[in-house]
Amino acid sequence: MVIARNFEYQRPDTLEEAIGILSDHTGSAQILAGGTDLVAWMRDDAIAPDLVVDIKNVPGLNDLTMDGDTLHIGSLVTFTDIIESEIVNEHAPLLAEMADTVASGGIRNRATVVGNICSAVPSCDAGPVLLVYDTVVHLIGPDGARSVDIKDWFVGLRETALSEDEIVSHLTIDLGSHGGVYVKLMRYGGEDLAQASVGILAYPDNEYRIAFGAVAPTPIRSARIEDTLRGKSLDGDLIAEAVAMVRDEISPITDMRASAEYRNHMTEVMLGRGLVAATERLAGKGPDYGTRLV
Amino acid sequence: MTTEYPFEVEKSTDDLKTVGKPAVRIDGLDKISGAAQFVDDIDFGPGLLHAAIVESPHAYAKIVSIDTSKAEAAAGVVRVATGADFPYKFGMYMEDRYIFAQNHVRFVGEQVAGVIARSHRDAVHAAKLIEVEYEVLEPLLDPRSAVADGAELVHPDLDEYVHVPWFFPQDDTNIAHWRKIRKGDTEKAFAEADYVLEDTYHVPRYAHCAIEPHVTVSRLDQSDRLTVWTASQSPHTQRHLFAEALAPLGFTHKDVRVITPYVGGGFGGKAGVSMEILGAAMATLVKGRPVKLRWTREQEFYNTYQRQGVVAELKVGVMNDGTLTAVEHKLYWDAGAYVEYGANVVNAAGLSATGPYRVPNITNDSLCIYTNLPPGGPYRGFGYSEFHFGLESHMDRIAEAIGMDPVDFRRKNAIVEGDELAYGAHMNPSGMIEAIDKTAAAIDWGVEETSDNPNTVIGKGLALFWKAPAMPPNASSASFLKFNEDGSINITVSGMELGQGYLTVMAQIASEILTVPVNKIRVETPDTDRNPYEWQTVASHVTWSSGLAVEKAAIEARGKIFDVIHEVYGFEDDSLYLEDEAVKCRTDASFSKPLREFVIDGIQTEEGTWRGGPIIASGKFMPEFTNAISDPETGQGGHPNVHYTVGATGVVLEIDTDTGRIWVRKAALAVDAGRAINPDLVNGQITGGLVQGLATVLYEDMRFDENGKMMNPTFTDYKIPTAFDIPDEIIPIIVEVPQPDGPFGARGVGEHTMIGAAPVIANAVYNALGVRIKSMPITQEKVAMAILEKSKTTEGAN
Amino acid sequence: MNLNIKVNGEDWGLDVAPADTLLDVLRERIGTKSPKIGCERGDCGSCTVVLDGRSVRSCLVLAVEADGREVTTVEGISYEGLSELQNLFIENNSFQCGFCAPGIVLSATELLENNPDPTRHDVQEALAGNLCRCTGYEPIIDAVLAAGKEGSE
Repeated sequence: MVIARNFEYQRPDTLEEAIGILSDHTGSAQILAGGTDLVAWMRDDAIAPDLVVDIKNVPGLNDLTMDGDTLHIGSLVTFTDIIESEIVNEHAPLLAEMADTVASGGIRNRATVVGNICSAVPSCDAGPVLLVYDTVVHLIGPDGARSVDIKDWFVGLRETALSEDEIVSHLTIDLGSHGGVYVKLMRYGGEDLAQASVGILAYPDNEYRIAFGAVAPTPIRSARIEDTLRGKSLDGDLIAEAVAMVRDEISPITDMRASAEYRNHMTEVMLGRGLVAATERLAGKGPDYGTRLV
Repeated sequence: MTTEYPFEVEKSTDDLKTVGKPAVRIDGLDKISGAAQFVDDIDFGPGLLHAAIVESPHAYAKIVSIDTSKAEAAAGVVRVATGADFPYKFGMYMEDRYIFAQNHVRFVGEQVAGVIARSHRDAVHAAKLIEVEYEVLEPLLDPRSAVADGAELVHPDLDEYVHVPWFFPQDDTNIAHWRKIRKGDTEKAFAEADYVLEDTYHVPRYAHCAIEPHVTVSRLDQSDRLTVWTASQSPHTQRHLFAEALAPLGFTHKDVRVITPYVGGGFGGKAGVSMEILGAAMATLVKGRPVKLRWTREQEFYNTYQRQGVVAELKVGVMNDGTLTAVEHKLYWDAGAYVEYGANVVNAAGLSATGPYRVPNITNDSLCIYTNLPPGGPYRGFGYSEFHFGLESHMDRIAEAIGMDPVDFRRKNAIVEGDELAYGAHMNPSGMIEAIDKTAAAIDWGVEETSDNPNTVIGKGLALFWKAPAMPPNASSASFLKFNEDGSINITVSGMELGQGYLTVMAQIASEILTVPVNKIRVETPDTDRNPYEWQTVASHVTWSSGLAVEKAAIEARGKIFDVIHEVYGFEDDSLYLEDEAVKCRTDASFSKPLREFVIDGIQTEEGTWRGGPIIASGKFMPEFTNAISDPETGQGGHPNVHYTVGATGVVLEIDTDTGRIWVRKAALAVDAGRAINPDLVNGQITGGLVQGLATVLYEDMRFDENGKMMNPTFTDYKIPTAFDIPDEIIPIIVEVPQPDGPFGARGVGEHTMIGAAPVIANAVYNALGVRIKSMPITQEKVAMAILEKSKTTEGAN
Repeated sequence: MNLNIKVNGEDWGLDVAPADTLLDVLRERIGTKSPKIGCERGDCGSCTVVLDGRSVRSCLVLAVEADGREVTTVEGISYEGLSELQNLFIENNSFQCGFCAPGIVLSATELLENNPDPTRHDVQEALAGNLCRCTGYEPIIDAVLAAGKEGSE
C-alpha cells in the first residue's frame, strides 16, 4: 500500500544542521538512515512523522575504522559494510556473523547497525552482540556530545535512551582477544526475525559475556550466568549449570513467532551450544563463523 | 471396464519430433528481459483512477450505518461506492456472495465500501475517512462448533441460494453442501476387519502466495462496453460472472470483455472471481475512466480465496494380509463466510477421499461448513492436498500395526486400471505401481541410514497421491489457429500462462502435427473478444483439454492443407503427409510443397487461377462421458471425474533432536504424466509443486485470533520458502502410462506434485523419531516440543 | 520536491512527493516496469533495483533519497541483448510466471559481480531475499552456478 499521507523531507549536509532541524521539530520528526524500518512503518501507519530527516549526506557517519583496539562504527554503516569489512572480519568476526543473519542482501545493503538498535525491537540482531561487546553509543544533541553504555541503551519495548533532538553519531567497541558466537533461532533457513537469540563472548581468562534477544522486552545481558561461569573452565557440568539458569534470566512471551515454552527450551539449547562454540573459537578452533548452530 | 472415449485423437506416438522433447519456453525472452507485461504494468494514461476498499474489522457484525460524507469531500475523490450501489449476488457454483456487503459482514476484511480517487494515495487516505457503525455479533470460527445443535446461522437464507445441481445444502444449518458416498457396507466390514484404526487429523488454512498480487483495471467506456484487464486464471468465467452479476445494469456477455496478459502466479488463488468484481462494478460508476484496484499483500492473504482448513475423522479397516476393506472418512471443512467456489473443493474431496486405493466399502462425508473466516476456495490440489495428510499418515500407521512394510502395503492396495471408484465408475490407466517402485528406489527405501552427527537422526517416508480434475461435467476448451504468410502460426486459446509453460506446450502440440517449429508459433494470452472459449485454467486440465482443442485445430488445418493440394495436384489426401514445413506425398517422392508458398496466398492452377487461401482452423473439446448427477444419499450413479493422475512422493530427512530442525536431504517424486509433452516443464512442476507442498507442512499456516482476524498476513510471518528452504536434492521421476483420450496420451500434473508432500514429512518424522504428529504444519517448534514431550513420557515410564 | 535521477543511463528530472517511493516513481513516472510490487515491505524482493551499484528494495527507498544517484533495472541490462546469466535462466527454465524474475536476475548479477564463482550456499544466500513461488528455486540455483562456472573458466 502507498504511504497514504504527506510529510516533509530534509537532507541536511552537516551534523549541526541535522540537530538544528530535529530541535525545531521535536516530536514530529524521524531520522532516516537506511529506511528499511522507517518506510515500512510509515506505510503501516505505525509511525506518522511530519518531517523525515535524511542523514545520509552528513559526512563522517560512514566511518568503519579501528583506532588501537577500539572499533568505530559510524551510524550510517550498513550490515553489508560490516560483512565486507576486513577490519571487522579480522578483529570482530562476531559482528559479521550477526550481520549475515539480518534479513536479506537487498535489506542489508541499506539497513544500518545503528538503525537496528534505534528501532530497538526485542528481536533486533545487533542488540545481543553489541551488549556482549560492552558497546558505547555516542550521541550528539543540541547540548553537545554524550555517550551511553549499551546496557543503558535499551529502555523498554522499542524505546531507547536517545532523545528526540539527538542523533547517534557512532558506536565504539573495545576489542581484545575473544571468541564469539551469535546463535539465532529462526523459523527456517531463509531470512527471518529472531524467535530467540544468544550472543556470547569468551575471553582467555574464562571470562564470558552473555546476552539474549527476543526473550524479553529488550535484548538483555545476563550478569548472573556470567558470574556463575567466571574464572571456571568450561565443561559439561558447568554448561548444564549455566543452562539451568536460563529460565530465570529470560521472560519470553508467546506470540505469532514462537511459544514462550519453545523460546525457553531453545534458549537453553542455544546457550549450551553457543558456549562450546565460543570457547572453541577463542582457541582458534570450532565451527567457522557463519555456521548455524541451531 | 475402462471408459470408452467417443472421439478420435492423434493416437500415433511414434517418431515424435516435438512432443516429448524439451523445448525452450516461448515466453522466456519476455520474462527474463523484463519485457513481460503483467496487468499492473499496462499504462492507462493520466485518466487512470485508483480504488481503495474499506473492510470490516469484525468477523461477524450487522452494518448499522455507513457515513461516506468525509470521504466524498476529501481531496481527489471522484466517487464512493457501497453495497447500496450494487445489491447483487454472484458466485461460481453457488450464488452466496455480494459485491459489497449487504446488511451483514461475515469475515474480517469483507468489503464494505470503496473509494475511487485520482491518485492511489488519495483513495487510501479517503477510505480511512469512511465511518461504519457495526453491531458486533459472535463469530463462528470452528467448523465442528458451527454444525453443533443450536449454532447461529451464518447464512439464514441458505435455502434460497441458487446452486449447481450436484450440491446438497442442508437448510437451517451451516452446511452449505454435504457430499456423501456410500458404497458396500462399512459397518459390516469394520466388524469383520482384523484391525481398525480411527483417528482425527487437523489441517489449517493456507495462502497461495503468488508473488503478483491480484490487480484489475476496469473501464466502462462511453459506448457502454465494460473492459476488464485482470490478473486471472479464468478470463471467460470472469466475463460470465461479471455479465451475470451486473446484468441488472444492462450488460450482456458481448458487452463485457476480459483481457488477461501474463499472470504472476495463480495456484488457484486467481481462479474464479474474487476482488475483480469490485473493480468491474466500481468502474460502472465513473463512465469513461479506467479504475485500478490492486490488492496489498495483506489483502492478498485475508481477502482472496484461502485454502480451507479441515478436520478429518478417519477410520480404516484392514485384514491381517494387508487388504484394505473399509474407509470411513468424515471431513469437516472450514469453508469460510462464502462458499461459492469452495463448496466444489469439498465436493471433489468427498468423491475421492479414499485416496488412490482399492476399497470395497466406503463411507465418505464431506461437509462444507460456513464459518466467519475468509472465503475458502481453490488452491493447488483442490481438497486433495488437504485430505491426503491424514489419509497417508493413517496408511503408514495401519501398515505398522499389522506388521507390514508401508510400501508393500501401498503396492498391495493401490488402485489400478479398471478398479471400481467410490462412485461406481472405473479407474483409468495408471502408472501407480511404477511410481511407487521408482520413488522407493530413489530414496533407497528399506536401507536404514544413520547420522554421523550425534544430535541428529535420519528418517524416510513415502506417500501416494491422486487427483482428478474437479470441473463441471461439460467444462470445455477451444482454439483458433491461423497460418501467416511465412508459414508461421498464430494460435489463440483462453487457457492462461500461469508459469507452468502452457503456451509452450500448446505450441509443441501444434508443431508436432503441422511440422512448424515451436519458435515459429505464437500462442496468445486471452482476450475474451478475440480468443475462443476456455472454462478456466485450473484443475490441471489445460494440457489435456485445451491441448485436445489445439490438436483438433491442427488436424483440421492439416486437412484443409491436404484438400487444397488434392484440388490442385490431384494427390489423394491419405497419400499426403507433412514434413519439415512442407507437404509431401507417399506416392510421389519428388513432390514437396512448402507451406509458406500457399497457406495464405493459395496455389495457382495451370490456368492461372488460384485455389486455397488463408488456412484457418478451430478445435474444441468437451468431455462427453461425464455426468455429475448421482444419488445424493450414496453418490452412486454419476461419472463426475474425467480421470485421475497418480504418483508417489518419498523423502529422506534429518532431524536435530534438540531443536526439532528438519532438513530434507532428498526428495523424490514420481508422477504419471501419461505423456510428458515437455519433460523439462513436467520436471519444473515436480520441483515447484513439491517445494510448495513441503512448505505447507514445514513452515506455513494461517493464524487467526479469537476474533477471527488473521494474525500473519505478511511474508514476515507467513513464511514461504526461500532459496535456503528446499531439499538438498530433488529427484523428479516421470512415469508415462498414456491417457487414452489425452493429446498424445498426456494428462495433467500441475497440482499433483504438492499433494503428497505433507504426509510424506509426517511419515518420515515418525520414522526418524517415533513421534506421530497429526496436525499440520509440522514446524521445527512442533517437532521440538513433541520430542520434549516424548522424553518426559519415556522418563516417566522408566 | 525535485528529483534528479539517472535510470538505466538516462537522466530524469521530476517533481515528486517525499512520500513517493522509488518503486512508485520508477513504475509510474519513468515507465520502468520490471521492478514489481509484491509486498511493499521488503520481504519479497520483486522490487529489487540496483542503486549506485548495490541491490536495494525500491519499495523501502523514498524516491527523494535517490536524488543525484543512479538506478539500474533489468531493462537496463537487457538493451544490448541478454547477459550470459539471463540466457542461462532461459536454458534452465529458471522461471515460471516470471514475476520475480527481474529481481532475481539483479540479485544474481550482483552476486556474480562480487563473487564470480559462487558455491551453492553463496547462491542461496544471495537469493534468499527474493521469493519465488513457482520454481522451487532449484533451476534458478542451477543457472547461477552454471553462469559462475562459465564466467570463471
